[in-house]
Amino acid sequence: MRFAIMLLTAAILATAGTARAQVKIGVTISTTGPAASLGVPQRNSIALMPSTVGGQTVEYRVLDDAGDSTKAVANARKLIDEGVDALIGSSTTPASLAMIDVAAEKQVPMIALAASSRLIEPMDAQRRWVFKTPQNDSLMADAIAAHMERAGVKTVGFIGFNDAYGDGWLAEATRAFAAHGIKLVATERYARADTSVTGQVLKLVAARPDAVLIAGAGTPAALPQKALHERGYAGKYYQTHGVANADFLRVGGRDVEGTVLPAGPILVAAQLPDSNPIKPVALDYVRRYEAANGAGSVATFGAHAMDAGILLQTAIPVALRSAKPGTPEFHAALRQALESSEELVLTHGVSNMTPQDHNGFDGRARVMVTIEGGAWKLLP
Amino acid sequence: MDADIALILLQDGVVNGAIYALLALSLVLVFAVTRVILIPQGEIVAYGALTYAALDEGRLPGSVWLLGALGAGAFLAGLLAERRVLSPGGVSRLAAETLAIPALVAATALLLAPRKPGVAVDALLTLAIVTPMAPYLYRLAFQPLAEASVLTLLIVSIGVHLVLLGLGLVFFGPEGYRAPGFSDTRFELGSLLIPGQAVWIVGCTLALIAALYLFFEHTLAGKALRATAVNRLGARLVGIATALSGRIAFLLAGLIGTLSGILIAPLTTVYYDSGFLIGLKGFVAAIIGGLVSYPVAALAAVLVGCVESLSSFYASAFKEVIVFTVIIPVLLWRSLRSTAEEE
Amino acid sequence: MTTRLLPALLFLLFLGVPFLPGVPSFWITLADYAGIASIVALGLVVLTGYGGMTSFGQATFMGCGAYVSALLTTGAGLSPWLSLPAALLASGAAALALGAVTLRLSGHYLALATIAWAVSLYYLAGNLDLLGRNDGLSGIPPLRIGGLLLTGSREYFVVVWVAVAVAVLLTLNLLDSRVGRAIRALRGGAAAAASFGVHLPRTRILAFTYAAVLAGLAGWLYAHMQRSVNPTPFGLNASIEYLLMAVVGGAGSVWGALLGATLVTVVNDQLQSLLPRLLGQQGNYETVVFGALLVLVLQTAPDGLWPRLRRLFPPARPRRVGANAAPLRARTLSSTPGLPVLSAAGLRKAFGGLVAVNDMGLHLDAREIVGLIGPNGAGKSTTFNLLTGVARPDAGQVHVLGRDVTGLRPPGVARLGIARSFQHVKLVPGMSVLENVALGAHLRGTAGPISALLRLDRAEEARLFAEARRQIARVGLKEHADKPGDSLALGQQRLVEIARALCLDPILLLLDEPAAGLRHAEKADLAALLRRLRRDGVTVLLVEHDMEFVMRLADRLVVMEFGAKLAEGDPAAIRANPAVVEAYLGAAA
Repeated sequence: MRFAIMLLTAAILATAGTARAQVKIGVTISTTGPAASLGVPQRNSIALMPSTVGGQTVEYRVLDDAGDSTKAVANARKLIDEGVDALIGSSTTPASLAMIDVAAEKQVPMIALAASSRLIEPMDAQRRWVFKTPQNDSLMADAIAAHMERAGVKTVGFIGFNDAYGDGWLAEATRAFAAHGIKLVATERYARADTSVTGQVLKLVAARPDAVLIAGAGTPAALPQKALHERGYAGKYYQTHGVANADFLRVGGRDVEGTVLPAGPILVAAQLPDSNPIKPVALDYVRRYEAANGAGSVATFGAHAMDAGILLQTAIPVALRSAKPGTPEFHAALRQALESSEELVLTHGVSNMTPQDHNGFDGRARVMVTIEGGAWKLLP
Repeated sequence: MDADIALILLQDGVVNGAIYALLALSLVLVFAVTRVILIPQGEIVAYGALTYAALDEGRLPGSVWLLGALGAGAFLAGLLAERRVLSPGGVSRLAAETLAIPALVAATALLLAPRKPGVAVDALLTLAIVTPMAPYLYRLAFQPLAEASVLTLLIVSIGVHLVLLGLGLVFFGPEGYRAPGFSDTRFELGSLLIPGQAVWIVGCTLALIAALYLFFEHTLAGKALRATAVNRLGARLVGIATALSGRIAFLLAGLIGTLSGILIAPLTTVYYDSGFLIGLKGFVAAIIGGLVSYPVAALAAVLVGCVESLSSFYASAFKEVIVFTVIIPVLLWRSLRSTAEEE
Repeated sequence: MTTRLLPALLFLLFLGVPFLPGVPSFWITLADYAGIASIVALGLVVLTGYGGMTSFGQATFMGCGAYVSALLTTGAGLSPWLSLPAALLASGAAALALGAVTLRLSGHYLALATIAWAVSLYYLAGNLDLLGRNDGLSGIPPLRIGGLLLTGSREYFVVVWVAVAVAVLLTLNLLDSRVGRAIRALRGGAAAAASFGVHLPRTRILAFTYAAVLAGLAGWLYAHMQRSVNPTPFGLNASIEYLLMAVVGGAGSVWGALLGATLVTVVNDQLQSLLPRLLGQQGNYETVVFGALLVLVLQTAPDGLWPRLRRLFPPARPRRVGANAAPLRARTLSSTPGLPVLSAAGLRKAFGGLVAVNDMGLHLDAREIVGLIGPNGAGKSTTFNLLTGVARPDAGQVHVLGRDVTGLRPPGVARLGIARSFQHVKLVPGMSVLENVALGAHLRGTAGPISALLRLDRAEEARLFAEARRQIARVGLKEHADKPGDSLALGQQRLVEIARALCLDPILLLLDEPAAGLRHAEKADLAALLRRLRRDGVTVLLVEHDMEFVMRLADRLVVMEFGAKLAEGDPAAIRANPAVVEAYLGAAA
């Protein structure tokens, strides 16, 4: 009986919600599956978004695609059929790439939460509809290469995920290293769920690089570093912004001390100078996220979703001036508004989008960070 | 590659292979007795590792509640299945087995977890929390289907795997955990630096194999299991309850799986979904053993571990490609050697 | 004619559904996905449900079709319609190659082999630059007919479900054919099929390739609907999901595949909408609930849902094929009485240390009925197996009509005109009596898979079935012809086996305990039948325990003991033989 009442209430609430909302945002992210460590904080961030924008109620429909591109596309179609005005997602590059066609075909703006610049470059008729909030890998890779050059690193070994994330980084890192005169002397791959990377690590150590770059996301990125430590590798360690959450520090422990990585400024928001416009926005997000999900729970991946939300909250009022939600004109106006953001402060940086650049971040969107005493520390 | 590197790789392969061997043994055991290919064995390993890691951090793992829920489910399933033959004594035995044990374990865990009682107690508590899940799962999911085809049982097994995988994400979150080892010492053996945990793993595997051997050869329950494995109908005719054999097999599998989890948690990071791939490699070894031979399965497991280790050195991007391609000729060879099974 | 027109009309109406006003477009999209999955599951019905081979690699073949089409259309600018044959060919060729290596594997080894190459090819695709690595290939052109772009889910619905209909028709055609009966016999009746001339490895490859080509078709549809491909939808998990669909729906039926695929697709999607409303946005319980549902469904319907659903409808009408078909050409039995038909000498077979048959000799002349008798464990059945090629003799020769045929496999033995029945009845589960018997005429037909798929085999099929009906009538089971074979009493099943053997048009009939389980009158009928056969020129060798039956019937008896021949002679002589009386009849006398 209780169950029946619950069911009924839920159904009424759900239908009531649908009936009232004036703007609908569809979200498909990977809250389960291999990319769940990205998707879960993203889902939690969606829950923090305001329910009214520009005097209109906003409804968020969140679906899980488990990192599977088929599901991501099915979700995108489903959400568009339900009449959403914009799409957010997905969490991984392959799934997001697969969604581009749907978004473009149905002419609904889509904000991807995946990193690869292939999502928005080269700009063409389809990618006109695609935006993305995470920093381009190239921005981050350049930062790492520049830091290495300053630190006197001449040779580097690479170990990355054997998936799209690792592929993307390997390509960007190879390019960036070449530009900074750094030699890539070993390239190894491993899988997220591998229990041992001894073979790869032995080969890295044997190549004697000055530094090692590990391209993994979340806690799995700690495994090669721990194994390298065990084998007595004494060079410098670099990680990517994919590791920027508290779990990485927990699992990495002492072995990740001194690691250098590029990250969105939100990771060290409290350490930013007060003059930095990003600081209040980022701190506000951290405060609200941790209030809802517990202290220390915030992850930079969730902030990408929040940035998508801020972009939409800025663009929706503009679009509302020229069209009504739920119409093709509104979608077009929204797209137009999104690509004309000027000095818009997000949690990860300051966005200046143009018809050519649908990411809009510049150097302000990344800081170099190191790990000291089990905490993130902003490098000057 | 010089001899040192080869030795290190082999050592790594043997340690990983030992874990695969443990899983392979339990898969062979469960299949021989119940014809179930126990895909959720991987999740049992992950649950073991993650429960152990949570206890180590002084947190109460969500798996405690799952144990209670599974116990209650098994109680109801038991009542339903045996409603015609259950005596009051039978009901109380069933209640003790399915309700009292989880309650006791949960109470102990509630009491001890926040106090961080140390590695040994954590390990024992983990065994107590995760092991009984397996026989409860047998009662709930598989016992009603004892006569179904292997294919149907396989799909049911996949269903159970999905349930445990989904709950694993809810209980433990998407990120991984590590736990402290039983031993921080390292042994130097020539150029080899052998971590104490590796010795533990190989030692436990060998001890378990010996214990299983003694169990099958010298205990009544072990002999009953063997009889059921050889001839299910015949075993029933001489009074061995197949359902009981099934529960014992699952209990052993649960024990081995949980122990494997506790053993690998210090060596690597374990995730809620780590189990499937580890279990798959155990499965590979089990099949090479024809799902009947324990020694062949154990040997094959070590072989899989070594191939994996070597290929991760030579061509890490193609590691899985190499491991799973190498299997095929081995399978051909095994298949030719085994007498063609007709029906 | 109306029986064919009605489904066609209904199907046309079904294709129009998406264009009705008010049909939500997402449900159409869902139906598109369900259709694609149905095609893969259909292949699994043939492969696993009927062929008994469990495959964890169907998504790999799907990927094969999808990637080939993606490469040809994006790279070479080919039209998707032209890349379709290439996609089908590629998945078929992949299946042939992989099958040639792994299909010799038995049981679990095969299942693991499919896992092995599914995983291995998945990671390979993720590491090949040609295939776009893990990001895959995008920008695949959509299908178009003339100027009409088939990008919307409504238009694609028509494409997908026409493909499903074609696949269903082809599959039904295939299963209901000479080759199809061979495939259906793979699970549970392989030994019987082999002894009627079915080449088992070739039949396995056929089922495997057919399933792969269907998966390739699904992959092609997927690629041009999704318009991008990457490795994830073609991994091991996807393969497991297709297998799961087939089993949930009922792998023993074409309709089960459709039901399972549709149900799993819809439930998966609906859980996503339903659960958050019930349990809140935090946490994902879809997999948990889906897994639990899976367990519950199979506990209530272990053979899948379709057989349950099927019971609600009236049973299918029996086929009327072959009512007035021309008879099959029969062998001319030029055998004059006394001509040697089969002779074996020095046969020996040992299993490990146990010598089952030792220096056994036997000769059969045309038009005689010979009884092979002896106590249990005397080696009668092993001798039978040596004569029929099921087992290979360690020593000795077998000659048929003067030709040395030692070591010939069962299909080769069948080709010589030697038909057999089995001590443990081997009828194919799920097949009607008629179909079981028609399997016996396998070698008298020639239609291959292509003519089966395209229904070009009808005339031959009619003749095969006419022959089967004739033989069923001959053993006195006319009224039972359309019942499932396994629904008959054991004695009647033995008669079915004899009818099946007669369908081979044999010169020599080897019967293993044909009278066991028969009632008195039935035994008399059987004896009369065997005598008529003798008159028509057939030679009969039977192993029998019913002494009265065999003494009355046989022209000659051969007695075996401890794997060797103890005595030989006419029934009266055997009855009087003191050695036989002591060794064998002694206990009874």
